[in-house]
Amino acid sequence: MKVLAIESSCDETAIALLEGKGNSLKLGKNVVYSQIDIHKKYGGVVPELAARKHVDTIIPLIDDTLAKNKLKGIDYVAVTSGPGLVTSLILGMATAKTLAFINNLPLVAVNHMEGHVYSNWLSNTGLAKNSNKYFPALILVVSGGHTELVLMKGHGEYTLIGQTLDDAVGEAYDKVAKLLDLGYPGGPIVSKLAEKGDGSLHIFPRPMIDKANYNFSFSGLKTAVLYTLEKKKQLSKKDISDICASFQEAVIEVLVKKTIKAALKYNVKSIMIAGGVSANIELKKTLSRESKKINLSFFYPKLEYTGDNAAMIAVAAYYNILNKKDNVLQGNKVFDLEPHSNWQLSKNKI
Amino acid sequence: MKEYYTNNQKETEGLATQLAQDLKGGELLAFSGNLGAGKTVFVQALAKALGVKENVTSPTFVLMKVYDLKHNKADKFVHVDCYRLSGQEDLFDIGLGDYLNHDNIIVAVEWADKIINLPKTAIKINIDLITEDKRKITIN
Repeated sequence: MKVLAIESSCDETAIALLEGKGNSLKLGKNVVYSQIDIHKKYGGVVPELAARKHVDTIIPLIDDTLAKNKLKGIDYVAVTSGPGLVTSLILGMATAKTLAFINNLPLVAVNHMEGHVYSNWLSNTGLAKNSNKYFPALILVVSGGHTELVLMKGHGEYTLIGQTLDDAVGEAYDKVAKLLDLGYPGGPIVSKLAEKGDGSLHIFPRPMIDKANYNFSFSGLKTAVLYTLEKKKQLSKKDISDICASFQEAVIEVLVKKTIKAALKYNVKSIMIAGGVSANIELKKTLSRESKKINLSFFYPKLEYTGDNAAMIAVAAYYNILNKKDNVLQGNKVFDLEPHSNWQLSKNKI
Repeated sequence: MKEYYTNNQKETEGLATQLAQDLKGGELLAFSGNLGAGKTVFVQALAKALGVKENVTSPTFVLMKVYDLKHNKADKFVHVDCYRLSGQEDLFDIGLGDYLNHDNIIVAVEWADKIINLPKTAIKINIDLITEDKRKITIN
């Protein structure tokens, strides 16, 4: 079964071709056009600019990906339908709907966060070969817009265990980077500087760490960094590294502690991490170590699949099709599909 | 213009609840105030008072989140966060056109000072941090 996937939920235009056969996933093509250089100077994604750029890139990118075979042999078209920026989502969706309709192909509406979850399947052949061995799995979903603990009982079956009550982890990194005037996106910059810093120098709050639930809160942590900065008159390079390290230590401690606690409580067979923040080396290291202590397998996506891409959307679509989910649309029905800017993974229906 | 002083988070939430009771549907609430001033705390309490059942989390990344309401007049609450914007865009540029000026929709915009051409009818709410706990809130 061949799937053509389109992803345009934020500032990356991405196309992928995947061939799935039973437990084997063969990624044919995977192209990502990143707009990061366009948005960098504004310190964040500018929706109008992102939308215009998607218009420019999406068709040439599909053309390049399909090459001379065009749509020959493609069985399904898959597209990210949310969550994301509405103005970006609609472009990928309009393209996918049109392609599916005129070529009489079924269209699969994919949740972007489910794509991130399935980036683990793309990265670990063992997981794809024998998924059932690792269910139920506990997934820590961490990105610019999400911080959630999700129980995955089987393919496409998600239960929300806990989530952030305010800011997402990636957002906290971005905001700290902005407070320190470090540039955008904040995650890679802050974690890089943290490597050189002393994380025990500032004791930032570990919000909700001892609460009896699995929720998070990162809004106060950002404010604590702000107060620390206001007290200092001048910032040396070392000060900045120390603040980054101390901030990261607080974030990781809360994330890992709650993940392990939830893993034990829900008696899972494995722990996985998904979303842009899964690129964070220190977080992976700590989770891997702590999972080992309780004898659980720990999976994480390869670095190239941590960012937004269409390969993960194709894999999620493949498992949606295999498991006969109701987000596969045919004929005229494709035009009923609308973007869902805050589509929850645990409500995985369109 | 009305000025309020709140001494803690609970009082800020109380003020938001009070404001929610005065809303009729169709309003645009425009929030301003620095990082950590408590805009999100205010909006969360407002949403709760309006009858949003879900957790209202930060929409910074996706810019806006739409919630269903149980309220006598409005049936949707739209939470917008312009923190990431560069200051050159209006509400239509970020896809809010579908939600403005509908009697059944209440829109709350954080970092509204980053938006150009804000409608004159917007209710402006500014939050100033006085100390770590104390806030001055002006509603216009």
